[in-house]
Amino acid sequence: MSDLLANLWLGFQVAANPFNILFCLLGALVGTLVGVLPGIGSVATIAMLLPITFGLPPVGALIMLAGIYYGAQYGGSTTSVLVNIPGEATSVITCLDGHQMARQGRAGPALSIAAIGSFFAGCVATVLVAALGQPLTSLALLFGPAEYFSLMVLGLIFAVVLAKGSVLKAVAMVLTGLLLSMVGSDLETGAGRMTFDIAELADGIGFANIAMGVFGFAEIIRNLELPPESRDILKTKITNLMPSRQDLIDSAGAIARGTALGSLVGILPGGGAVIASFAAYTFEKKIAKDPSRFGRGAIQGVAAPESANNAAAQTSFIPLLTLGIPPNAVMALMVGAMTIHGIVPGPQVMTKQPELFWGMIASMWIGNLMLVVINLPLVGVWVSLLRVPYRLLYPSIIVFCCIGIYSINNSPTDVSIAAIFGVVGYWLVKHDFEPAPLLLGFVLGPLMEENLRRAMLIARGDVTVFFTRPISAVLLSTAIILLILAGLPKIRRRRDEVFVE
Amino acid sequence: MSEGVSPSPGGTRPGFSVHTHNLIGGLIVTVLALLMLGYAFFVPNTVIPRFMLAALAVIGIATAVGLVPVHGPRDFYGGIVLVMLPTVALIASAELPGQRGFAFGPGTAPRLFSFVLAALGAAVAIGGVFAEGPPIEKYKIRGPSLVIIAILSFAAMIRPLGLVPATFLAFMISILGSSEMRWIESTIAGALMTLFCVLLFVYLLNLPFQLWPRFY
Repeated sequence: MSDLLANLWLGFQVAANPFNILFCLLGALVGTLVGVLPGIGSVATIAMLLPITFGLPPVGALIMLAGIYYGAQYGGSTTSVLVNIPGEATSVITCLDGHQMARQGRAGPALSIAAIGSFFAGCVATVLVAALGQPLTSLALLFGPAEYFSLMVLGLIFAVVLAKGSVLKAVAMVLTGLLLSMVGSDLETGAGRMTFDIAELADGIGFANIAMGVFGFAEIIRNLELPPESRDILKTKITNLMPSRQDLIDSAGAIARGTALGSLVGILPGGGAVIASFAAYTFEKKIAKDPSRFGRGAIQGVAAPESANNAAAQTSFIPLLTLGIPPNAVMALMVGAMTIHGIVPGPQVMTKQPELFWGMIASMWIGNLMLVVINLPLVGVWVSLLRVPYRLLYPSIIVFCCIGIYSINNSPTDVSIAAIFGVVGYWLVKHDFEPAPLLLGFVLGPLMEENLRRAMLIARGDVTVFFTRPISAVLLSTAIILLILAGLPKIRRRRDEVFVE
Repeated sequence: MSEGVSPSPGGTRPGFSVHTHNLIGGLIVTVLALLMLGYAFFVPNTVIPRFMLAALAVIGIATAVGLVPVHGPRDFYGGIVLVMLPTVALIASAELPGQRGFAFGPGTAPRLFSFVLAALGAAVAIGGVFAEGPPIEKYKIRGPSLVIIAILSFAAMIRPLGLVPATFLAFMISILGSSEMRWIESTIAGALMTLFCVLLFVYLLNLPFQLWPRFY
């Protein structure tokens, strides 16, 4: 316990550095700014804003990215409440009651309860991340290459099973990502692989190019196809921001339950935050005395999912920081950012760079605090942002992304590669393939190959090593059981129902 | 994602529309497979990919003439592409040395994963033959292609022309992709966005960009 406090103290010392606070503030602001824009989810937001963090020192960059992530999440719920268009998947459910509240002239309380709920959830989840970090890390340090490989397989399978869409196609996407990650120089021999003698590919395909193409550009192209939406932004001015005493009493329980549920679901790989918000809403509706109030502006219907998705967003850092396994696309982006700064995510981060690890955890809490402090007064700004029509928005995003990609390596080829992946992403959506597993596979590819090769070398070419070493055997058989379960018709139907939204 | 499917043209005559789709789709598959096959003949050590491509070409022809009863075209063509991709990877990694003793060579893992992916792709495609699925959504041409052209022209312009013209022109090209574009409004917005980007990237983030064309 005293260890935990000492570590958190170290973290707050790092995070309270004025520059880091500034980065955190900037990240939260910019994240909200982009997250507010409808049709641009948090993955696209982070992908877009990645390049502007590359010039910063590693700790600052990661703190800023984390800030962007919370900001994007929070911005999404603002859009849900005010326009009834979810800024992103995790706030789909917030639309239901949040927008109704706004219609009844209670947009202010809806927004502030969302912020307060998120803040509370963030506080609890921060402590959870800090508490679980140490034991999980010491467990992971026992792992050899075979165990690591099996763990990554399990992580990927988990992410695939808990996400929406066909499991078979998602596994195929993971493998596509793995294959793409092998383009470029071989880890051990330095031989150029699958480069077609193109000099720019010798270093491999840039992670930012894929992320920006598949998530940023493809999403914009996709949105262009939709008919111009009719946005009924609230015309009335938001006057009363503060929730009443009754609101607070009503939502206290919902916030607590949402936080608990979200923290739990968030640790699991896959669509953690999305599932968490849905589950929390359904749960609240089930235990409510008068379920018919839900969908008509019940404040619990805003408080629970918003707390849950924020808690889940935060606890999804646990597998990344302790095991080095990104559980979802956002965390895959974080891995990419870490790698660009020369940090290999995994258990060694905590022991070798404690100030980075704990600084980031502490900044999560600060980031959440900032969201409450800065966002509520700025609601007016976000609303006016929502009035910018999409026809002016998307070209701005495109040029912003172009400059961003170009700035990473000063390479025009990178921009063209991202354009190609934009087309790829568009095609994937047309054929019902989820792009998130592709990114996960791409990010984990080099680590997986390295551990596979090492494990095989140590075992003198004996493939059975993955099943004879106990930890590895347990991990792999869990993965296989999961896959079989997901394939069973009964469970498949249940799973489809969950993701039916 | 399967919701909101736009009905395919000729949706009122399903038999006909499915037929033409498969004719076009099958022909595309055949042409791609044959092109890659031609390439594979110039690369040594590509016996297996050659067979895979020949099989794909045959499947393409069979689809085009209607011998393959495709029920789920999204999965079917998606799966076919997921077989083609690892085939390309197999050709591209054909000359890399493989396993030496206990150690993986640089070519081992790419080939290993390629074969697994090809198998999965085939499974997806076979699923697409038998399982009923939604038709392929219509591809829009104007919006997407103008966006892509804008990005590519940014890539082409940034070095010779500098940041300001490249940003502004890319903005103007991509805005043409919208059906509700207005000239005056767009020009002003483009100029403002260019100004914003210059301020952010050059002055705030201090990135070494060249702003205007360089005259030697």
